[in-house]
Amino acid sequence: MSAEDVLFDMLHAEIVSYMVSKDSKTEDEDLSMLEHLGYSCGWRLIERITKELPRYKEELEILKFICTDFWSCVYKKQVDNLRTNHQGVYVLQDNEFRFLNKLSNGTQYLKEAPKYATFTSGLIRGALENFGIASIVTVEINRMPSCKFHVHVQQSS
Amino acid sequence: MTIYNIYIFDRLGTLLYYMEWNRQKQSGMSKEEEAKLMYGMLFSIKSFVSKISPHDPKQGLLCYKTNKYALHYYESLTGIKFILNTDISVKNVRDLLQQLYKDIFVEYVVKNTECEMGQPIVSELFQNKLDQFIKQQQKILQ
Repeated sequence: MSAEDVLFDMLHAEIVSYMVSKDSKTEDEDLSMLEHLGYSCGWRLIERITKELPRYKEELEILKFICTDFWSCVYKKQVDNLRTNHQGVYVLQDNEFRFLNKLSNGTQYLKEAPKYATFTSGLIRGALENFGIASIVTVEINRMPSCKFHVHVQQSS
Repeated sequence: MTIYNIYIFDRLGTLLYYMEWNRQKQSGMSKEEEAKLMYGMLFSIKSFVSKISPHDPKQGLLCYKTNKYALHYYESLTGIKFILNTDISVKNVRDLLQQLYKDIFVEYVVKNTECEMGQPIVSELFQNKLDQFIKQQQKILQ
């Protein structure tokens, strides 16, 4: 892993701990700021990556793009598994999620884990938003370092 | 080759981690006391070595041997100390300790933000990796 990657990891970790400690007055951890941060990063990032790409037509194609090119750009690997019910629900599974793979390979720190995935869920939402797909992204972590992102596409009425 | 046990201390002498594999004789005191004693001894030897050395010591204390076991000492530039006790036939422990620092400690303690610096290490992932690493080394060096 090169130095830039480590820098990104450390900066991310510091942002997470800063954001969480700032909101620690309330009982529940409020991760919305973190999500918003990811959202704007994703929104801008997708603008940059796609500037030389042809247009995608279908939703699935766009999701595939997120799983391959977008993920390699940010995490230097592809999403391991993409599943969909063809009704606007997609599940992206990364079995070796970078922000978790130094933490545990079981269930230790499971309570702390979601805050490390929030930025990324925002990243996905922002990227999709800029493709014209409004969505809600949630995170599911059962056993680290595996991490699932559920994307619920909001049907435009 | 047999590896008996390992101590990891931080710059201020806090015992970050202790693990033993083939230790037949216990010291008969608590782990905390033993760690303090160990750290104190190393501290003394280190200053002794640097004072008594006829040349400017580049690396300082590396190891000592009795007729039953050898103690290997590695200190990172940031003051993290790794102490590994093995039997006396073992060679190249320095590389092993360096690798342990680089591949296990930095990866799974320093990069794990849930591990607070200066506190004993409770990460199970680190413990597993360390155990795996030592057992693998034992096999290779046999």
